[in-house]
Amino acid sequence: MPYLGGEETVRELRRALSNPNVQSDQLRYRNTILKVIRAMSQGVDMSGLFSEMVKACATVDVVQKKLVYVFLCSYAALNPELSLLVINTLRKDCQDPNPMVRSLALRNMTNLRLPSLVEYVEQPLAAGLRDRAACVRRVAVLGWAKLHNLQASSEIDAAVVNELYSLLRDPDPVVMVNCLRALEEILKDEGGVAINKPITHHLLNRLKECDIWGQCQVLRVLQRYRPQSEDELFDILSLLDASLVSPHPPIMAATLSLFLSLCSGQPAVSLAALERVRGPLLAACGSGSREMRFTALCHIQLLLRSIPGLMGAHYKRFFCGYAEPAYIKQRKMQVLVELVNDENVAMLLDELKGYCTDVNAETAQAAITAIGRIGRSYSDRCLEILTGLLGLKQDHITSAVVQTMRDLVWVCPQCSDTVCFALEGCEETLQDSQGRQALLWLLGVYGERVSSAPYTLEVFIDGVRSEASLGVKMELLTATMRLFLCRPAETQDMLGRLLHYCIEEETDMCVRDQALLYYRLLHCGIEETRKVLQGRRSDPSLGVLIGRPAEPVSQWARSFNTLEPLRQGSIETDGALNRLKQ
Amino acid sequence: MIGGLFIYNHKGEVLISRVYRDDIGRNAVDAFRVNVIHARQQVRSPVTNIARTSFFHVKRSNIWLAAVTKQNVNAAMVFEFLYKMCDVMTAYFGKISEENIKNNFVLIYELLDEILDFGYPQNSETGALKTFITQQGIKGQVSKTKEQSQITSQVTGQIGWRREGIKYRRNELFLDVLESVNLLMSPQGQVLSAHVSGRVVMKSYLSGMPECKFGMNDKIVIDKQGKGGASDDAGKSDLGGGSGKQSIAIDDCTFHQCVRLSKFDSERSISFIPPDGEYELMRYRTTKDIILPFRVIPLVREVGRTKLEVKVVIKSNFKPSLLAQKIEVRIPTPLNTSGVQVICMKGKAKYKASENAIVWKIKRMAGMKESQISAEIELLPTNDKKKWARPPISMNFEVPFAPSGLKVRYLKVFESKLNYSDHDVIKWVRYIGRSGIYETRC
Repeated sequence: MPYLGGEETVRELRRALSNPNVQSDQLRYRNTILKVIRAMSQGVDMSGLFSEMVKACATVDVVQKKLVYVFLCSYAALNPELSLLVINTLRKDCQDPNPMVRSLALRNMTNLRLPSLVEYVEQPLAAGLRDRAACVRRVAVLGWAKLHNLQASSEIDAAVVNELYSLLRDPDPVVMVNCLRALEEILKDEGGVAINKPITHHLLNRLKECDIWGQCQVLRVLQRYRPQSEDELFDILSLLDASLVSPHPPIMAATLSLFLSLCSGQPAVSLAALERVRGPLLAACGSGSREMRFTALCHIQLLLRSIPGLMGAHYKRFFCGYAEPAYIKQRKMQVLVELVNDENVAMLLDELKGYCTDVNAETAQAAITAIGRIGRSYSDRCLEILTGLLGLKQDHITSAVVQTMRDLVWVCPQCSDTVCFALEGCEETLQDSQGRQALLWLLGVYGERVSSAPYTLEVFIDGVRSEASLGVKMELLTATMRLFLCRPAETQDMLGRLLHYCIEEETDMCVRDQALLYYRLLHCGIEETRKVLQGRRSDPSLGVLIGRPAEPVSQWARSFNTLEPLRQGSIETDGALNRLKQ
Repeated sequence: MIGGLFIYNHKGEVLISRVYRDDIGRNAVDAFRVNVIHARQQVRSPVTNIARTSFFHVKRSNIWLAAVTKQNVNAAMVFEFLYKMCDVMTAYFGKISEENIKNNFVLIYELLDEILDFGYPQNSETGALKTFITQQGIKGQVSKTKEQSQITSQVTGQIGWRREGIKYRRNELFLDVLESVNLLMSPQGQVLSAHVSGRVVMKSYLSGMPECKFGMNDKIVIDKQGKGGASDDAGKSDLGGGSGKQSIAIDDCTFHQCVRLSKFDSERSISFIPPDGEYELMRYRTTKDIILPFRVIPLVREVGRTKLEVKVVIKSNFKPSLLAQKIEVRIPTPLNTSGVQVICMKGKAKYKASENAIVWKIKRMAGMKESQISAEIELLPTNDKKKWARPPISMNFEVPFAPSGLKVRYLKVFESKLNYSDHDVIKWVRYIGRSGIYETRC
């Protein structure tokens, strides 16, 4: 960051700004001010130049005015007294014959954000609301919102609020939308603008005149409206029908959101709306820009929770191109998992298998997890693929496969044979702690069927001193105990060593306490130990993939068209799975 | 709404910064730079959350544009706004690059002032903005009232997208059918997934308030007309002389707001009063009967552990009279490549070690032709047991026809009040089909 010569620059610029030769030459003056703004953008502190900039404000050159205002708005909070000097110029400008100058002055007066200036600003703002030029009115309306923001505690005069309400009928649509926005902010404590029938109908009639942003705003605000009769509801829906299939994704999303909130009492209509929107959503998924594709994908995930079959025929659209960014691939894979059925399972699994060897480790792991989830319904095929992947002997792949197998076995205990067979020999390639924990759990629970289990555990126990991960140590303790219960002869010795180490030498309290617990359990007798340690091994009720009941739309309707879907990592939280295993 | 807008160059230096709401502090600028631009891993997602603040970003060449907000906003709208911002800047000064931004500093600040007020997008139509923000600053005070009233009427007139009293000496219109064809093909030559997304962009310079009717070879319309299909006036718009029997089945399409949807629903005819100048008439998507302009046939043979022989044949699958341009084929090579020998009869091929690919560029290629490239890739012996998962061969190209098969059959113009008829209007049609994601696995 160019902090070099900050002081020097400020001094130089001050000299230039106060130089009368510079001041008389419009171009030079403007260029000097440009330098100030540029330096300010880069983070250099230019607040020392405040008084010079205030003087520069009184000029006829509108561009220069704008630059000076940018500066002043950034630093006004630090210099409240000097800012008062600017107010006079601003107030004069508010009465300039040129509406551009008027709107500029009004906008910047409110951008200054100084509580002390509020009294000077109110009068021009009130006049601005009645100005004959639309651009001035737009600025004035938002100006009141800014004023309220500045002093949230002070009440905005009721007369102003009434005037804002009446301006909802202004011929200029941007003024109308700005009024909506301003009223939303000012009346936030009361729940925003009061949406009643006449206002709703008025807004809907003028929806077509607004630009994209205006339409989005109107549609968002209308979500609070409750139609009074079914006829009215259907009238509104047919009016909005064209927007539902708009080529602009934001409008389509906002309309759908509105539909869903209006039809919350009529699930059939909501579902019909979702069907309509399928085409435009698919088009957005294929749009040229990545960000829109990503947003569309996240929203489709939400929709699929209610209508799993919505995209069934189009599953091929969600195949990932090689060059697509990782975040899009991962979301596409999550969608693909939702779309699996008997006909396309072979093809889908083939595709996913290809992604498992992706260059990006996270994508590969996501693909493997996806295969695991499909495995709940189609365990044989998936296990075949997973076992094949183990043969590649690559760390991140093996780790993901072992974790997936662990999750799979929990839900489908019938797969345990295949899994046990596959586990032989994969401990060499496992490096990360997650994978090792998964392996240890599997060895502990199914130890009697894996012939090499005691030897694998012995390797771990011998290396426990240098083991860094807490989770691995805990899992190792539990696994060794479980194995001891079914193969006592082979494991007795190493169990003893492990317990000795954990109780005597281990510094971490959790491990030590766990070991002490097991030691005391053993003293109580084998039966007691068996009762505690050999709990549930599986929970098939956690659900197959297909045949999951569709969620009602109302569950996710509120988070549609907001940032919520983009934040979610995945639909199902596997956290529930992990908690049950301990 | 949007709390702040920042523009950075590829090094992470701030070029433009503008804060609209108080909840965004100066440290937001730095937070984005540290966590996203200089993050060591690849970009995770276009939306980043840091400390309850959401950062949306878009990258154009090597310039980052970021919008910051603390509220739970409509994500699609923020991205649309960022794209609009880029479009406006491009309309003013061309390519978005560090140099252009630095030179048009003043202009960009003016635009930011005008387009976003208090974080809410205001007027963002390039046409309207250009009338009062120009490169030289605001126009003189004399004509502003007339412009002001014109701008207002443009927005509040009955037909909001076209104002009255437009006059041109030459009445012309240009139709651009821009398509992007995407393909995923399996190693056995089977099409895994293919779709075309297209847009019809119209530039109309017509006087008055003309009514236009747009006709294309839509399957549903042609079926309605029956087998004895009326040969419609072909004129300049029927490229390639195909018969009216070729029709395309459009999966779905969306139109500009000027198109009368009721007529489309009932008779499937597209009639409208066009806005003046350039705008997008419709957007559509097809997945059936796509003409795949190129077929890529790869052949990979491993000779021992130190050599890889690759032969790729591309066949162009369209009329011999048409020429495809800017053809580029990327053949990925393993990471442990030591050298590559390439032989190709047409075009130029180079091995780019930094990208791990052989890039074969052909300037133009006619239809129904075949070209071939063979390469011998020498590999460094490696102990790595990893098997190289062959990435697919991807292609880029531009063809002068619509891969979906769409053909413009007619565009009739009726203006009753002024005295020019459909025949007086000069019409131009052009088809540009580009490759989107066009991959063949091998």
